[in-house]
Amino acid sequence: MTVIARRLGVYLVTAWVAITVNFLLPHFMPGNPIQTLIGKLQDNVTPAEIRSIQLSFGGTLNHGLLSQYLTYWGQLFHGNMGISITLSAPVSTILGSAIPWTVGLIGLSTILSFFLGTFLGALLGWTRGSRLDSLIPTATFFQAVPYFFLGTVMLLIFGSQLHWFPELGAYSISVTPGWHWNFIASLIRYGELPVISIVLSSVAGWMLGMRNMMITMVAEDFVLMSVAMGLPRRKVVWAAARNAVLPSIANLSLAIGLVVSGALLVELVFNYPGVGDLLLNAVLNEDYPLIQGIFLVITLTVLAANLIADLAYFALDPRTRTAAVL
Amino acid sequence: MKSLRIPRSPKVVLGLGIVGFFILLTIVGPYLAPDNPNNTSFAPNLGPSGAHWFGTTSLGQDIFSQTLVGARATMVVALVAGLIATILSVSVGVAAGYLGGFTDDGLSLLSNVFLAIPGVPLLIVIDSYLPTGSRSNALVIGVIISLTGWAWGARVLRAQTMSLRNRDFVEASRIIGESRARIMFSEVAPNLLPVLASSLLFTILYSIGAYVTLAYIGLTSTSVWNWGTMLFWAQSNNAPLANEWYWFVPPGVCIAMVGTGLALLNFGIDEFINPRLREAGMTSRLRRRRGLPRRPRLGLTPVVRASSPRPARTFVKTGSGAR
Amino acid sequence: MSTDALATNRNASPPSGVSATSDAASTPQVMGTRILDVKDFSVEYGWGEGAVRAVDHVDLHLERSKVLGIAGESGSGKSTLVYGFTRLLRAPGVITGGEAYFNLGDSQGTEEVLDLIGANERELRQVRWSHISVVLQSALNALNPVVRVGSQFEQVLKTHRGGLSRKERRARAEHLLSLVGLDPDRLARYPHELSGGQRQRIMIALALAVDPQLVIMDEPTTALDVVTQREIISELYELRARFGFAMIFITHDLSLLVELADEIVVMYAGRLVERATALELYEAPRHPYTLGLLNSFPPMHGERTELTGIPGSPPDLSDLPSGCSFHPRCPYAMERCSRETPPLVNTGETDRSVACWLHSGDDGVQVPIELSRRGPSGSTPAETP
Repeated sequence: MTVIARRLGVYLVTAWVAITVNFLLPHFMPGNPIQTLIGKLQDNVTPAEIRSIQLSFGGTLNHGLLSQYLTYWGQLFHGNMGISITLSAPVSTILGSAIPWTVGLIGLSTILSFFLGTFLGALLGWTRGSRLDSLIPTATFFQAVPYFFLGTVMLLIFGSQLHWFPELGAYSISVTPGWHWNFIASLIRYGELPVISIVLSSVAGWMLGMRNMMITMVAEDFVLMSVAMGLPRRKVVWAAARNAVLPSIANLSLAIGLVVSGALLVELVFNYPGVGDLLLNAVLNEDYPLIQGIFLVITLTVLAANLIADLAYFALDPRTRTAAVL
Repeated sequence: MKSLRIPRSPKVVLGLGIVGFFILLTIVGPYLAPDNPNNTSFAPNLGPSGAHWFGTTSLGQDIFSQTLVGARATMVVALVAGLIATILSVSVGVAAGYLGGFTDDGLSLLSNVFLAIPGVPLLIVIDSYLPTGSRSNALVIGVIISLTGWAWGARVLRAQTMSLRNRDFVEASRIIGESRARIMFSEVAPNLLPVLASSLLFTILYSIGAYVTLAYIGLTSTSVWNWGTMLFWAQSNNAPLANEWYWFVPPGVCIAMVGTGLALLNFGIDEFINPRLREAGMTSRLRRRRGLPRRPRLGLTPVVRASSPRPARTFVKTGSGAR
Repeated sequence: MSTDALATNRNASPPSGVSATSDAASTPQVMGTRILDVKDFSVEYGWGEGAVRAVDHVDLHLERSKVLGIAGESGSGKSTLVYGFTRLLRAPGVITGGEAYFNLGDSQGTEEVLDLIGANERELRQVRWSHISVVLQSALNALNPVVRVGSQFEQVLKTHRGGLSRKERRARAEHLLSLVGLDPDRLARYPHELSGGQRQRIMIALALAVDPQLVIMDEPTTALDVVTQREIISELYELRARFGFAMIFITHDLSLLVELADEIVVMYAGRLVERATALELYEAPRHPYTLGLLNSFPPMHGERTELTGIPGSPPDLSDLPSGCSFHPRCPYAMERCSRETPPLVNTGETDRSVACWLHSGDDGVQVPIELSRRGPSGSTPAETP
């Protein structure tokens, strides 16, 4: 249990660091961005809203830094992340409506890609030297392609040229959102191409990693022993794969952040109404409260995903239960 | 001391070739560009032709020139960030692994925190607060990217240092009373080289991705051409929907090629570090020529009988018979 | 060194009574009480220029219920030999010649012979574990780290004893553990939760799980402390007496073999250099290398003797000395030893052979006294000086 507690500790510290960085950045960046921001807003928003934005940065500047820091935390606990300049709505509300899209799209694609990549990697590692090895150079290339570039190419070929998939958005504008089949079908239809793009960009990484682990495992004595025991081939492969997947899961924490960052930009290519799409607009309009809110949300989500990955690792590797390995 | 021999497999050679080509492009690219990348005097949206190898943008700029000029900024930022991040990784990782104790606990926590924070979003926040002037500065961008990209290398290097620390030859130098710094630099450091090289390649790979991402969402100065900026303009002018593939394919393929080259080099290093990954020396064609199955199978040792009997056999029979 | 040079340099293959059948794979084998027959067996690592011959024309046979010891330093090819004919050897190992037959028949004399070298995967799977089981040096690596001990028994029993019910399998596993002196509650443990000795006992119990006729022990006690080593050896002795399986015991510790084995072969640089019954080998070694090995380990029982060991280190298989591979380390080396490779020949005593020019019977060769002692059986050495 101490292992999990330690990991949890790391994640709590990480969350604290992320939040603190978020607080400190606008205060210490050259050019006094908060003042500039409020100056820009003066004409468009009510004094009450300005007050709320100020609070979300920790209150007015004539308070001490520590007092501002505490105010900032207090506001955060009340869900006040300020008001988006461009969208004139509370950041928390905007994020609330964007997060489900992102979690749905990126969550699903990441899970798909992890399982597919792990399966292919196990296969490649086991059948090393076979014709399947010719997949490796292709995979290496795909691993190096930026997610958004692959998405762009996919959109051009399969969307705007071949018309196999709808081009932009998350669902057809002709259906009204709601819990009925038409909408869900449209959702799936519009999600296909973005999901395929993300899976295609990220699957190679999982695959190559798993292949290496599988090759390392096949060289272990216990795999040879399961052959010597006359076990059926599928059980031998399973014995190796079951052990090879452990480091893969242990490395999830490193990978999730990268995969999520990459996948966010795919939303942007497809105008998918998630957090990634918001981010672009926020960046172009220097909408600082929104940028910061997005950063916090992404960080906390990634940390939660990491914790789940750690729990999975803990459940799958009996050795972690007795020794502090992680 | 063990000599450093990177396996000279086709993968490594190809990787070296690709990376070498792009490094060359970094140096000479801007001089080779036929036009000023900002020059908007050409007809817009031309497809590839003899005059404009990669066509023109919707503003009438030459895409081939943009690609050549863009190589420098992209590669320089990636190299700067990769180098700084690796220096950080080495300092933190080796110190943590070698010194142990509280130092290790503190530094490990630090790298774990930086590993857990998603780097690119943090980068975006920091970068969005930068004044526009600094965004065109390769050094500033490089430093910021390296801040988000050093932790992985530090973790790997720490683990390697820890395992080296306990090896006999390090123990021996400690006993004969060499100073810590000397042991660290003369005994431990050389044995860290393969891991270090791998970590450097990874960080450069990450840096390219991060820089291009920043540029793609419009967070680098638009006055500096790099491959990400090109993609940014292509995207914001709806090139993918207008079938203007020649606008975004060249920079995208360049990025992917550099990445592939680095990854191929890393294969070589991986095989150096982990001998189990080394191809057991024989390609499948060689195996077949030798009469072996295409791939080795566990629990089915192949049998290849020499076609001609060994001359030894007759000797043996007389040998045993005579006596 | 090129392959050609290798081939001409190591010019002798050991002859034996059955060497005539070595190129007659098609003739039906009659094995009788013999359970394993390995003839003229060769294994190489790698291919072409860089190929290294790890096992060089070795003959080996084993009678039902007997224990054969294979001794030699690391790199002598003793494990390669065994993994080779069981077809468990990993790439780049390649079997380059010879035969290996295994008698699947029971002790009542039924005859069913499997050609291990010609067998396909399905046939091999049928003899694996149910007829031939293996115990490796390090049980920590040999047991799947993420599977409970009980489930590892379960897997083996399910595969080879399909008829057993879940409850019967469980009872069988508990019984097997009790045979090696372990508590049934170990079944719920993971390998890493057990001590080295416990893990090795579990490996032995696993190896006996489906009553094999042949158990191969590849240095099963090397990784253990001396006390545990002793305990396990005596347990093995009892188990064998009780169940009557044949055993091949690989070790570099010759003194251990003397206690356990019926017959011992000694390997050096991929070749058999001596074959004798355990007692004869111990009392009256014929090969200088055997003598050196005997002097390298204290006997498990009996009086203390001076340990002298063997000077030098095992040769590099890719660059073997000419003639007898042992001659650079041999205190008795003659001029001829660096020129010609001695074949493994019968010494004139019952069922013992040695590959050494000292015993060639040539005029003028003086066999040193320590290599010409009388064996315990009273048989006269062929070449008494």
